[in-house]
Amino acid sequence: MSSTDFYSYACPAGAPFFGYFGAASAMALANLGAAYGTAKAGAGISGMGVTRPDLVMKALIPVVMAGVVGIYGLIIAVIISTKIRAPVLVSGSYKPQYTIFGGAAHMASGLAGGFSGLAAGIAIGIVGDIGTRALGQQPKLFVGMILILIFAEALGLYGLIVALIFSASPIGSCPE
Amino acid sequence: MELLTFNKDDGFTEAVVRGYRSGILDAASYSNLGQCDSLEDMRMHLQVTDYGTFLQNEPSPLQTMTISEKCTEKLVDEFNYVRCNASSELAKFMDYITYGYMIDNVVLLLTGTLHERDTSELLEKCHPLGKFQSLATLAITTNAKDAYRLVLVDTPLAPYAQMHFNDAHDFTELNIEVIRNTLYKAYLEDFYSYCQSLGGSTAEVMGEILRFEADRRAINITINSLDTELTKEGRAELYCNFGDLYPEGIARLERAENHDAVRAAVEPYPQYRQLFQEATYSQEKSLEDCFFEYEVKLNKLSFEQQFQYGVFYSYLKLKEQEVRNIVWIAECISQDQKARISQYIPIW
Repeated sequence: MSSTDFYSYACPAGAPFFGYFGAASAMALANLGAAYGTAKAGAGISGMGVTRPDLVMKALIPVVMAGVVGIYGLIIAVIISTKIRAPVLVSGSYKPQYTIFGGAAHMASGLAGGFSGLAAGIAIGIVGDIGTRALGQQPKLFVGMILILIFAEALGLYGLIVALIFSASPIGSCPE
Repeated sequence: MELLTFNKDDGFTEAVVRGYRSGILDAASYSNLGQCDSLEDMRMHLQVTDYGTFLQNEPSPLQTMTISEKCTEKLVDEFNYVRCNASSELAKFMDYITYGYMIDNVVLLLTGTLHERDTSELLEKCHPLGKFQSLATLAITTNAKDAYRLVLVDTPLAPYAQMHFNDAHDFTELNIEVIRNTLYKAYLEDFYSYCQSLGGSTAEVMGEILRFEADRRAINITINSLDTELTKEGRAELYCNFGDLYPEGIARLERAENHDAVRAAVEPYPQYRQLFQEATYSQEKSLEDCFFEYEVKLNKLSFEQQFQYGVFYSYLKLKEQEVRNIVWIAECISQDQKARISQYIPIW
């Protein structure tokens, strides 16, 4: 850090760390949730599908919903990463473009969306597993299982909404 | 997180058992077997199934006893193969399954010796899964204390037989039955708490199966002892301390004095109420048949879940039911009672 760099308390050099941390955690945690949901529900569908192959297509819905949770994480990560600016080199010294306020907002956004995605994925996995196995025994349970899965998916959606609101907050600008 | 770690230790053995399960006879094979005219036809039909040429070296004329022995032998071979390849945790689970057969063998030997049968003949009738080294020594014991001190204390059945080790009365028909039931009760309770300690899907699946087993035993003990000299207190000691019927249903079963009281005791439990209703409304099915059917249903359900040990237990029980079915069909054919041939319990 040369003496002519324009870093200040409002725009420290480490600000992008928080921003990218938020983006990475949104992607990773949401994918963890989606992976757990797909694996658990998939095991249940495979078990049920041996004796009731006609119901397998209907029973695939938990897997689709778990995939959607992964997409929420992708959206949040992409939106955050477009808002992080690298410092520009101006006649030999660095001028930051990204405030620590922005870093905090984006980290909050990523963590909120990521953990919500993880929670939603876990819920979808457990309900999908037991729901599809019960569906094999009693096909009338289909509507009930879908309703429960929708409520579980809504948790991921709440996380996405909050994450988008956080990331849209104005991050301010750095002193010249 | 059994999702992540189960296949590491037990993936191979579970795959082997699932392969065996797909060889269980289905409805088409049973209808083929039902149309046989003789046991020789049955031998031919069994050749195209997973049983293969297991009866090839038996001389004709074939006996139902031979078929039964050979089927059981094949089942025991499969069980032992899986047991040899099992990881330490799975091996412990499979050993627990064999203790039930050990109890049956112990009681068989004691009863046989009471009736002065030949020991080697009795040893041949013992179930192979429950054989242990000092089994033959039971023939020389005359009371429970000796049996415990000389034989049972070195076997895995020791903790179940603790309460008998001071009992110096000689063996009689009644007290051997009581010994069988108390041993089995202690074994079931131990097995149940072991499965619960394993946690996860194993606890869920095995818990369901073992609770039904405990309830079924409670109902059977009550019905069978309704007009005998077994007192209500004696009966109360034989009920397990777990199960859907525990504690309210068990309390009512303890006080039951006739068949209607037993029925009233299980009324609040929908699955047992249904079984009792089925048994009353059908002329051919007894309560025992309804219990077997429900047990088959629970064992089939355990195959729908993965990453748990219940499949090993369920495979053994379903295969035993299959052997019983084959023997029933063979007996119907050999005794020319074709009308009753469809009274086996279909599995798949």
